[in-house]
Amino acid sequence: MRRWATSYAMLAPALLLFGVFVLYPLVGAVRISLTDSTGIGRARFVGLANYTAMASDPTFWRAAGNTVLLAAVSVPVSLVLGLGVALLLRDRIPGGGLFRAVFLAPYVISGVVVAMAGRWVFDQNVGIVDRVLAAVGAPQPDWQSDGTAAAVSVVLVLLWARTGLAVVLYLSALQGVDGDVLEAAELDGASPWQRLRDVVWPLLRPTTFFLTVMLVIETFQVFDIVWVMTKGGPAGATELLVTYAYNQGFAARREGYGSAIGVVVFVVVLAATALWWRAQRASEDEL
Amino acid sequence: MANPHLPTRRRLLTAGAAAAATGALSACGGFSTGGPDDSQSSDDGSLTMITWASDTEAPAFQALADAFREQTGTRVELQVVPYSEVLTAVDTGLRTDSPPDLFRVSYTDVAAYRAQGVLADLPDAADLEPAFLPAFWSAVTDDDGTFGVPHHTDTSMVVLNTAAVASAGLGPLPATVADAWTWEEFADALGRIRPSRADSYAFAANWQNAGAYRWLNFVDQAGGRLLSQDLTSVATDDPGALAAVTFTRDLFRRQLTPQNASARGQAASDLFLNQTVATAFAGDFLLAELDGGGFEYTATFLPRDVNASADLGGNALVAVEASARKEQALEFISFCAQAEQMGAFCAAATVLPTRRDVDPASLRYAVRPDLMPLYVEQATAIREPLVQQVVVPSFSAVNAQLRDRLDEVFLGDDDDATALRRLTDGVASVLTTP
Repeated sequence: MRRWATSYAMLAPALLLFGVFVLYPLVGAVRISLTDSTGIGRARFVGLANYTAMASDPTFWRAAGNTVLLAAVSVPVSLVLGLGVALLLRDRIPGGGLFRAVFLAPYVISGVVVAMAGRWVFDQNVGIVDRVLAAVGAPQPDWQSDGTAAAVSVVLVLLWARTGLAVVLYLSALQGVDGDVLEAAELDGASPWQRLRDVVWPLLRPTTFFLTVMLVIETFQVFDIVWVMTKGGPAGATELLVTYAYNQGFAARREGYGSAIGVVVFVVVLAATALWWRAQRASEDEL
Repeated sequence: MANPHLPTRRRLLTAGAAAAATGALSACGGFSTGGPDDSQSSDDGSLTMITWASDTEAPAFQALADAFREQTGTRVELQVVPYSEVLTAVDTGLRTDSPPDLFRVSYTDVAAYRAQGVLADLPDAADLEPAFLPAFWSAVTDDDGTFGVPHHTDTSMVVLNTAAVASAGLGPLPATVADAWTWEEFADALGRIRPSRADSYAFAANWQNAGAYRWLNFVDQAGGRLLSQDLTSVATDDPGALAAVTFTRDLFRRQLTPQNASARGQAASDLFLNQTVATAFAGDFLLAELDGGGFEYTATFLPRDVNASADLGGNALVAVEASARKEQALEFISFCAQAEQMGAFCAAATVLPTRRDVDPASLRYAVRPDLMPLYVEQATAIREPLVQQVVVPSFSAVNAQLRDRLDEVFLGDDDDATALRRLTDGVASVLTTP
C-alpha cells in the first residue's frame, strides 16, 4: 500500500501536467466539435453535424488524402536517409561534426525559419533552384502554381527538416550494437550488406519503431512548413488536415468544424499507432 | 535481441500516444493566443483597446489616446498585436470573460460580432449618421442599431511601375473614375506591357488569402452578384459573376499574371515590389511600403465594366457590450469619429476618411500626397450592393471559400460555367452548414 502511494506521489506531477495540458483541452476540443461555435458568443449544440458535414466535404477528403500520402512518402524516406547518414557518420570522418550540424540544424531551429528558407529556395520567380536549373538549360518547375511541384517542394523541405532526428537516434542506436556480434558475423562469412540486413537492422528495430511512430505523428501535425511555403495551395494540392483545421477554425470562423477535424486527426493517429504497435508485437512474437 | 539501453516498445507507444494527443490538441484545441490578462481592463479605470497597427498607424492611434486623455482624463491603453492574431486575442478575452473595452475590426468581420451580441450599441448614432458616407455606415448598422463607428477606409487602385510601362505606349493614364479603362482596354494595356526581365509579368491582382473578397470587385463591375438580393443564399448562374470568372481566368490563360498570383499565392504587393509584375492592384495603406521599393511608380483607377466599383477596405472601432467601462469606451470611439480626429488619423496613416465633412483634399498626407486624391476618388466607387454582400455575419467562411475555390478556378481546367458553379457551390456550403 505504501509502495503504491509512493508511486502515485511520484507520478502526480506528470499526471497533473497531462491532465491540465492534454486531457482537459482534449475534452474541450471534443465538446467544441459538437457545437456550431464561431469562436465568439454562444454556441449551439449540433450533435454530430460537423462530423457528417465532413463526410461530404471534398476539401476535407483531399486534405486527408494529402496527409496520408505525405506520411507514406516522407516517413520511409526519412528513415532510409537517416539510417544511411548515420551509417556514414558512425565512424570518425573528416568534417563529421559539420555534417551532423547540417542534418541536425533544421530539426532544432524554428520550423517557420526552415519553411522561409524553403520558400526562397523554391520560389518560382526568384528562387535559387529555378535559376540554377535555368542556367543549365533544364526545365524550371512552377513550385507555387503546379500542384505536383508544390508537393515535391514541401516533401523536400520536410525531409530536410526531419532527417536530423532519424540521424541522431540511429547514431545513438548504432553505438549500442555489440561489436562482438558483428565480428562473429564477419568471421562466419557474412558480407557487409548481410551484416547490415541480418544483424544491425533487427537490433535497430525498437529505434525504427519509435521513429516511425514519431514521424507519422509529426506528419499529421505538419503545419508551419506548409503554411509558410504554400498555404495549402495551389488549388488545394498541399492542403493537409491540420492546415485545413486551422483554416476552418480561424480564417473561416468555423471553430466547431475545425475542432471536429482536429479530433479526427487525433483518433486517426492514435488508431494508426495502436495498429502499428500490434503489428510490431505480432512480428516479435513470431521470432 | 533488443538492446536493453534502447526504449521498450511499450514506453515508445506511451510516448507516441502522448505526443499524438498533444499534437492533435495543438491543431484543434489551442485556438488562442495571448492570455486573459492581455485583454483585461485595467484596474486604474483606463480603457483597454486591442488593435493591430502599421508603423504609421501606431503613433496615430497613440495620438488619439493622448488627446482623449487630455480631454476626459481617461487613459486608453493600446494593445497592439499582429494583424493575424487580433481577432484571436479579442475572442480569447470574450471567451474568458475578460474582454477588451474596445477593439479595431475590419468591416467584413463586424457582422460576426454583431450577430453574437458582442458589440455595444452606439447611443448617439442618430446624431453621427448624417456625417458619414452611407456605404460605411451601413457596414456597422443593422435593424437593431449601430454597433461601432466607421473609422476609416481604404481601397485598391492599379499601381504601375513607371519604367516598366513607359515603353508600352499607353499614353496618358485615366485621370478620373469616369475615364477608367474598360475591361477590354485594361487587358489591352496589360498585353502591351513588355516584360523588362525574362521572368516578369504584366499584372497581379490583390485577391490573395484574406483578400479573396476583392475578386468581387470584378463581379460588381460586371453588374453581378455573389449572394442573392436577400443575402441568404448564393446567386446562381449570375451573368455578371460568369463574366468576372471569364475575364479574370483570361489573365492567367494569357499569362498576363503569374500563376503564383492566384488566390492562395504570393501577395500582389510583394510581386510588385520585387518587380515580378509591372502593375498590381494595391490599397493606399501599402503606399509607405511601396515607397521603399526603390523604383518609381504611379497609380490609376481600377478598370470598369457596367459599373465602376472598388473594394470596401478599412476598419471600424467598436466597443464591447460586456465591458465594465462601456460608456467610456463608446465615448472614446465617438471621439475618434469626430472630423478633426479622423482627419488627423487618416493623414498620418495614409487612409481615407469615412465622413462627408472631412475633405481629403485638405489633409496633409505623409506619403504620396500626389496619389492620395486619386484613392479618394476611387473610394467613391465603393458601391452599397457590394458592401451589403461582404458584411454578412458568415462572411469569414464565405471569404475562406472564395480563396480556396478561386485558387482552383484560376489554376484549373474547368470550363467557365463549371468553374463558377464550383465557386458558388463552395460558398453555398458554408451558408447552409454549421
